[in-house]
Amino acid sequence: MYAFVSGPLALIAFIVFVLGLGIQVFRFFGMTREKEPLNISFPKPRQKDVDALRPPEGVSKKVRLKGTVLGMEPFLAIVTTLFHLLLILTPILLLAHNLMIERAWGISPPSLTEGVTDVLTVAVMGFCLFFFLRRIVSARVRALSTAYDFLLLLLVFLPFLTGFIAYHQLFAYKTVILAHVLAGELMLICIPFTKLVHMIFFFLYRFLLPGEYSFASGSRVWR
Amino acid sequence: MIKVKRKPFQEIVEAIQRYPTVLSVGCGGCASVCLGGGQKEVRLLNEELREYFLQQGQEKQFTEYTVERACNMDYVRELDELVPKKTVVLVMACAAGTQLIAERFPDTPVFPSVNTVAIGVDRDIGLYEERCRACGDCVVGYSGGICPITRCAKGLFNGPCGGTNQGMCEVDDAIPCAWQEIYERLKRQDRLQDVMKIRPPMEWRNQIQRTVVQAGYEERYMQEE
Amino acid sequence: MAIAQARNVDPALIQRTLAQHKPQIRFTLAVCAHCSMCAHSCFLYESRREPKYMPSHKMIHSIGYLFRKKGNVGLQELHSIGNIVWNRCVLCMRCYCPLGVDIPYMIGLARRICREQGVYRLYDEG
Repeated sequence: MYAFVSGPLALIAFIVFVLGLGIQVFRFFGMTREKEPLNISFPKPRQKDVDALRPPEGVSKKVRLKGTVLGMEPFLAIVTTLFHLLLILTPILLLAHNLMIERAWGISPPSLTEGVTDVLTVAVMGFCLFFFLRRIVSARVRALSTAYDFLLLLLVFLPFLTGFIAYHQLFAYKTVILAHVLAGELMLICIPFTKLVHMIFFFLYRFLLPGEYSFASGSRVWR
Repeated sequence: MIKVKRKPFQEIVEAIQRYPTVLSVGCGGCASVCLGGGQKEVRLLNEELREYFLQQGQEKQFTEYTVERACNMDYVRELDELVPKKTVVLVMACAAGTQLIAERFPDTPVFPSVNTVAIGVDRDIGLYEERCRACGDCVVGYSGGICPITRCAKGLFNGPCGGTNQGMCEVDDAIPCAWQEIYERLKRQDRLQDVMKIRPPMEWRNQIQRTVVQAGYEERYMQEE
Repeated sequence: MAIAQARNVDPALIQRTLAQHKPQIRFTLAVCAHCSMCAHSCFLYESRREPKYMPSHKMIHSIGYLFRKKGNVGLQELHSIGNIVWNRCVLCMRCYCPLGVDIPYMIGLARRICREQGVYRLYDEG
């Protein structure tokens, strides 16, 4: 059972994950088109005009972040950034995972020490708990929440919980490790087909579509 | 919509210099849409001013509020509780909204913190083109959908001047010649006879068409030195 | 503020407009993580602090509702959608979304669907 789940089923899960994401990216490019180049002529602004508008350097430096999400909701911005970073990095840099990869394919991805990843796993679980509580306690988040949101949070939480329990061999190791692999695979196959797809759409939307908060000038628009 | 652009910082500083409390009012209408005077700009301005005066050794009280539209008294009324004594109001709405607010609070000094620049169209994020001077007697139908007042530097009504150079205006070679474009547009629609009738000139001031590149977005369109 | 009353609803017309934008609407509703970070970008939410003024909430209950019901809505529902998109939103275009969802566009679509059915904001009544 374990051999199947950690072997062929894992492969299937990864294939579904990669193909699924690929399909979504492909669809995005199909539903958008290149933005027409701006074909107008106008006197370009000059540096001195720009400088007259701005406050002195000492002021703008201190105030720059205030209008951004980091300025408006710093706690949440930092928490969610850390959560997402750790969510992705922890499994990738996990010694146990990388040992399995080495055994299977002979390559040795870099790993963090087990002590560190243990702490990071607890951190991720802590963040999951934070988001769960936020969804219940905060009126504005509650107003948007459905069972689907809670289920997906559980989906993300389970691989980390079961991984932690299995690593520490707290109880019923064989069952827990099986549950861990299954939970991880379930999460992988769900990513392209649920709101978790924001994993790639964050980048597609924010880099390719024009907008006040886009990271680039936006080269594509919806058809 | 109306396009506004923030005034030079020093000008705003001078306006509020002698008042201990400042209320910054944003507008959720035109000013917001052109990224010139919405909630975010109001917040940022307050933060910049607060920091500036702190660095000068002065502590001023700043509050903010954004109304749906400053050009309607129903919304301006929402400010009633927020305008205490000895305050100055900085408005980030067009001059029309600024004046309505000044009318509502005749005992309070009201200053615009933006310049009302144009009635224009959106070209890209942070880039807006003036298209109308609100002359009140629109002739764009006869000129193929191109306003000769706004887009011709001399506001000519009956054809180009002799200064058209390769399709560009002699006043500024980054400005297309409006009459060249009018001619081409009407020719395309087989309506050249529309400009063969002499029209009496509009009593209007001459200015080249203005393009507003919003504060903070200059980098995208900066002139190469 | 008053919203004009329609006489009847033409679901086929709603479906046609929805179909024209189906991919974008579907992606938008799927990607919205229900995180509520758009709340602070709406000055109406900031002054009223009621969840129903959150851009995501407005979007989900207007275009989201029309999409989920596949355009089969009654007069009452259409009128309350009109109330959301005209009385709770001014289309100031400044709502932000960390995932890049274009919320104003969705509200604008909902307004268009309402207008096509004869439901729109009245500026000459109280």
